[in-house]
Amino acid sequence: MISVDHVTKRYGAFTALDDVSFEARPGRVTGFLGPNGAGKTTAMRVVAGLTPATTGRATVLGRPYATLPNPGRHVGLLLDASAQHAGRTGREVLTLGAILTGVDRRRVDDTLELVGLTSKEANRRIRNYSLGMRQRLGIAHALLADPEVLVLDEPANGLDPAGIRWMRSLLRGFAERGGTVLLSSHLLGEIERIADDIVVIGGGRIVASGTTAELLAGSGTVVRSTDDARLARALADRAVAVTKVEAGGLLADTDPATVGQAALHAGVALLELRGGDERGLEEMFFELTASSAREGAMA
Amino acid sequence: MSTTTTAPAAPTDAAAPRLPAPIAGGRPTTGIPFTRLVAVELRKMLDTRAGRWLLIAIGVVIAGALTVLFVRGGGDHPFGDYLQATTMPMAILLPIVGILAVTAEWSQRTALVTFTLEARRARVTWAKVLASLVVGVVAVAFSFALGALAHAAAVGLRGATGDWDLAGTVWLGAAGYVLLGLLQGLGFAMLLRNTPAAVVAYFVLPTAWSILGSLVTQVETAARWLDLNRTMEPLFTGSLTGEQWAQLGTSVGVWVVLPLTAGMWWITRAEVK
Repeated sequence: MISVDHVTKRYGAFTALDDVSFEARPGRVTGFLGPNGAGKTTAMRVVAGLTPATTGRATVLGRPYATLPNPGRHVGLLLDASAQHAGRTGREVLTLGAILTGVDRRRVDDTLELVGLTSKEANRRIRNYSLGMRQRLGIAHALLADPEVLVLDEPANGLDPAGIRWMRSLLRGFAERGGTVLLSSHLLGEIERIADDIVVIGGGRIVASGTTAELLAGSGTVVRSTDDARLARALADRAVAVTKVEAGGLLADTDPATVGQAALHAGVALLELRGGDERGLEEMFFELTASSAREGAMA
Repeated sequence: MSTTTTAPAAPTDAAAPRLPAPIAGGRPTTGIPFTRLVAVELRKMLDTRAGRWLLIAIGVVIAGALTVLFVRGGGDHPFGDYLQATTMPMAILLPIVGILAVTAEWSQRTALVTFTLEARRARVTWAKVLASLVVGVVAVAFSFALGALAHAAAVGLRGATGDWDLAGTVWLGAAGYVLLGLLQGLGFAMLLRNTPAAVVAYFVLPTAWSILGSLVTQVETAARWLDLNRTMEPLFTGSLTGEQWAQLGTSVGVWVVLPLTAGMWWITRAEVK
């Protein structure tokens, strides 16, 4: 359980976080989505007690991070995979973590195996690691002391597609055990595949949050039929807002079942019927963050 | 359709990863013991190539100095000279071990991990200070033993005259020289958190101050109280007067206690980047 409560962080005149509140609940994967520079990392650093909040407070498992006894046994963090001593071996980094948190050293081998680092790789110095290997080591480090909360900042960076899929099922498994997962990404596709809940941040403000299903549901239904004009009229009769999609078909502001009913009554054969899933969330993501995103200046 | 099934097996990645078994027993309600923090900090000083080579380099320099003494003049030097040959290189180079222990956390950005596994940063930093002192004490004992061994060997093997005469405070002076230098290095490291800056400050500032004190008469009086090189000198020659102790204390306060205190204050409050 992570709870961020009205956190504001200012650096002089610059407001990095503006009254940010959200929760990550146990048994669920919470995706923290936002463009670069939106404040994701700062918010996670506030959660981990590395950055003091100007106002507001963040708690993990009901208490401020700094007051957790032996925090590694409660919370697994991966804030920056490159923040490791280049001259240490991967195995040494995990061994130090195991000694400090007081867990059995055998977990070093267990977690190395879990993240797919061979013992040869683990015995190499980190300066020779690729970004993907550093991410894997970072995930191993986060899981080392069997925490119940995971906080991962852009963990998919540098992982190949197979690695991303692997991580997805790993985090799913962690949440199914009752763990809390908060992971950030600036990639929408990645978040909506893995997250049960989504928190969208832009320009230091939370611009949307809810379950992934809720956020997807708002995006209407895409339909194509043998007679779109007639279907559009039928939908309009049922007080459903309809817009024409340029590539052909309609976007109806309702769920697929209602569209199907309308088509049946109108006697129109459907060619395609689907929830306006990815495109909808993508629209939302761009819309909600456009004003604050770096790309916004160019749009 | 058999061709699709004979496609190379996906890497083990694709299979559902199995999380390591949960750790039996409840989650800890007590913090990390301080001794464990010290042990980990000690290990961190030795588990990088930089740390290991630094200690090897100190060993090589000491061996070189002893060899010179041993060969020159038939090895006929008093024990005090041998002691100096082992302690001096130690005093000069060992503080870098302490400096690296602190600055590496920032230059290598490991502070991110260190201060999240133990969020009470003052404890971590005190563990670093204590671990450095452990290294320092072991090093001092080692250098004393090595100096004695070399002198004894010179007497036994090269027929040098044994001269074990040492003023009582020389031991203290030699040990203090190494340990205070180490603490001073730590203090600068905590204040600057940058390896080159801390190393340069450690080597240049006190020396510059010494030179200034010997050149400018107005600074001279201040230097008698604030120049660590000068206030420690009496330790090597014998007994200290009350004023000399006070001067030593003052200079230690300024060059050692002050940087340590300010550094500790900063580390516990700063944002860890």
